[in-house]
Amino acid sequence: METSKESNSTVRNNREGLKGWLNPARYGWERVSYWFQRLTGLFLLIYFIGHVYETSSLTGGQAAWNALLALTQTVQGHIFLILVIGASTFHSVNGIRLIFTHGGMGLGKPGRPDYPYDALSLNYRQKSGIWISLILAALAMLYGADVLFGTK
Amino acid sequence: MIRESLIMRIHYITGISALFVVAVHITMRLLMPFDSSIEYQNIIANYHNIAYSILLESILVLIAIHGFNGLRIMLLELRQNRLWENGVTIFTISAMMTVVAYGTRTIILAQGLGA
Repeated sequence: METSKESNSTVRNNREGLKGWLNPARYGWERVSYWFQRLTGLFLLIYFIGHVYETSSLTGGQAAWNALLALTQTVQGHIFLILVIGASTFHSVNGIRLIFTHGGMGLGKPGRPDYPYDALSLNYRQKSGIWISLILAALAMLYGADVLFGTK
Repeated sequence: MIRESLIMRIHYITGISALFVVAVHITMRLLMPFDSSIEYQNIIANYHNIAYSILLESILVLIAIHGFNGLRIMLLELRQNRLWENGVTIFTISAMMTVVAYGTRTIILAQGLGA
């Protein structure tokens, strides 16, 4: 009984909740990727709901649509859209990496655990996938900025 | 009860499918200068195109399923007990259905509008 109480208390003390979820400091790039995937997902869900609401102004006629465009076709509105482009590109490319990983691809072969006990699954394939996601997101944001602020 | 492995498969399929339909949606905005493509007449003309309306509806359904299931997964990672898990599932399904219903209403009403 006493042991059970102790183990329950240890489990409770180990619960970090949202702080544990948000803390990337003790982990590597995989944790940053985990965190970004969730952060961009939440951001895109909020944008999606806002976009569905925004487009519903069409039903109010041309004046309502133009009034809404006047709110969104600003420098701040364009910067927000560039962030959406970056978030959606990272979320998509990193999501594809995660689908492959979930299917067992890119994890490497199991091996004997030797000092310093680095996890074989957290290898260069995974890390390069995260970097490719970040680089493509940056490129997409640059293209988006060119379309929104440039002449295209 | 649907198994979590099946829900995860649905999550991946909706994510990949959304990627393709959103790519078409964005391409439609880039066929002409961006500012012109979002003018009222152009948008209404898009909604009058049945194929494009079906594409918009599929984007709405796919992203709503993927997005709200993603939110459900995140909320289930934070806390685990029967009350929380059932509450999160009911909340996300209700929110998903509300967004799909509201977006579908816009697609249907916009088809009746004159350019």
